[in-house]
Amino acid sequence: MTPILELDHLTRAFGGLKAVDDVTTQVNQGELFGLIGPNGAGKTTLFNLISGFTPPSSGEVRFKGEVITGLSAHKIAHKGMSRTFQNLRVFPNMTVFDNISVGALGMIGVGPMSSLFGGKARAKEISERSYEMLERVGLADHADDLAANLSYGKRKYLEIARALAMKPELLILDEPAAGMNDSETTELAQFITGLNKEGLTIMLVEHDMGLVMGICERLVVLASGRKIADDVPAVVRQDPGVLEAYLGGDEG
Amino acid sequence: MSKSLLIKLGLLVLAFILIPALLMGFDKGYYYQIATIAAIFMLLAASLHLVTGVAGLLHLGHAALYGVGAYVAAILGANHGIGFTLGLPLAGLSAAAIAFLVALPTMRLMSIYFAVATLGIGQMLYLVFLNWVGLTNGPNGVMLFSGINLFGLEIDSDLGIYYVVAGVVAVSILVLNRLSHSYYGNALRSLREDDQCASAMGINVTVMKIQAFVISAFFAGIAGALWAYTTGYISPNDFHFSQSILILTMVVVGGLGSLPGVLIGALLLILLPEALRSVGDIRNIIVGVLMFSAILFLPKGLFGEVSALNFARRVLGQGWAAQKGEKGIGWK
Ligand SMILES: Nc1ncnc2c1ncn2[C@@H]1O[C@H](COP(=O)(O)OP(=O)(O)OP(=O)(O)O)[C@@H](O)[C@H]1O
Ligand SMILES: [Mg+2]
Repeated sequence: MTPILELDHLTRAFGGLKAVDDVTTQVNQGELFGLIGPNGAGKTTLFNLISGFTPPSSGEVRFKGEVITGLSAHKIAHKGMSRTFQNLRVFPNMTVFDNISVGALGMIGVGPMSSLFGGKARAKEISERSYEMLERVGLADHADDLAANLSYGKRKYLEIARALAMKPELLILDEPAAGMNDSETTELAQFITGLNKEGLTIMLVEHDMGLVMGICERLVVLASGRKIADDVPAVVRQDPGVLEAYLGGDEG
Repeated sequence: MSKSLLIKLGLLVLAFILIPALLMGFDKGYYYQIATIAAIFMLLAASLHLVTGVAGLLHLGHAALYGVGAYVAAILGANHGIGFTLGLPLAGLSAAAIAFLVALPTMRLMSIYFAVATLGIGQMLYLVFLNWVGLTNGPNGVMLFSGINLFGLEIDSDLGIYYVVAGVVAVSILVLNRLSHSYYGNALRSLREDDQCASAMGINVTVMKIQAFVISAFFAGIAGALWAYTTGYISPNDFHFSQSILILTMVVVGGLGSLPGVLIGALLLILLPEALRSVGDIRNIIVGVLMFSAILFLPKGLFGEVSALNFARRVLGQGWAAQKGEKGIGWK
């Protein structure tokens, strides 16, 4: 099993608070990897460290064997990593199609000159890829709607489609099922497993155990910034430390 | 596709056949002047549209870059015998070069601080126009008698001058239209919507903002040169802060993000005060009230993509949010 992502003693402190505290783990190629933990455990912060949104206080992140710590977010994206956000960040005043096109064009690249002179091949590639993703998440009928006018659930899919339009090797999803009801969550779980079956490595954060336990091959549990478990779901489920973190110590 | 082509053709017929025909019908120098000024301000508004309406950067010093173009054209023409064909591109390039120097240190500022920085730079350039008497002739301004000479052809009729201005403005606006309504425009829009999120899509936010700012300055410089060549006289007050605000108002009234809206906004704000000339000075108040109600009742302007109030709120709000950030207030 080759690792695609390696975290090496990763720590991030905000003032006195260690939001992520000495986390070491790895995500393997093709894996559907889950990260869980109670409120404020440091899951989002860990994602921000990986994707270059926040620099770590210490430690190292390696992606495909290459150290990416300290690189800016757009450079990391170009290495083949894409992410969604817990608080759902679509571009509200742009159409659904245009939203997705940004994911594609960020990777394919557009410049003022290419958009003025020729650049037809790139434009074609961008639009084809955008339509493909639009179909993929079932939003083709909404291509010309403003993203702000979509329902919450559809916006979640839009955000995933935009990330997929980047054709990433590693997809990081921060609480994609938050705010969804049970049937929507089941549907999403199928969608995510489908992506993974096609060979995409996925790192999935969830707040509650339901979704991840069902679909992930491996789980890391964070509590107060520290890794307290790192194993297959069946083992993690029995782990007394994990149970305590979830039942007793929901310190937030 | 064909519909937008039809609209473009219609506009070209309007600009190059109908309006000239009307102007010839009235045959008054004053109308030619208004038409030329309106065209120049349409270009100014279209160029600010790229930075503010599309890329979402609140830019308060546009008139100063317009001034750079005007002074470069006027000084080259008056003191160095360099005429229209070379002076026009040089004016655009000079404004772009200054914008590039300004952009390098300021583009990483949070939006509200960027706005303040452009305000300061606009003011600084204005003071240069006003006080560097050796170069700019200070408050007396620069006279430019050479007029427009196109490849040896002297353009001196009112109609000829209108055609030259309309031609340059039309080409520039087509370029700006292509930039703002294309995938490149989508990339810029994503910066306006959420630039941090755009960076997660692999977009180099700082580089793209600098590009938009510099391209916009180039066309402001072109507009400045047109102003210098057509009026034959420029002075610092033509490029005062109030002009920046006038251009910004055109963009907001027309609608943030919509080029057609912005062009109509420019026309309105140039033609309305002229049309109301007969009612006396109260016209300024009327225009003010109209603008105010436009913001209240048409929050997205005539055709905008973003509500101006929301835009302002976000630009201001980000300044506060930055306090939690890494590099202290105002930096990201
Ligand atoms: N920019 C910041 N400045 C200061 N403290 C922060 C910052 N970001 C996160 N924190 C703190 O770090 C801790 C971890 O937050 P984080 O958002 O990573 O948790 P989480 O596991 O994603 O929680 P949730 O399940 O609520 O999303 C929290 O105590 C939070 O208040
Ligand atoms: Mg979180």
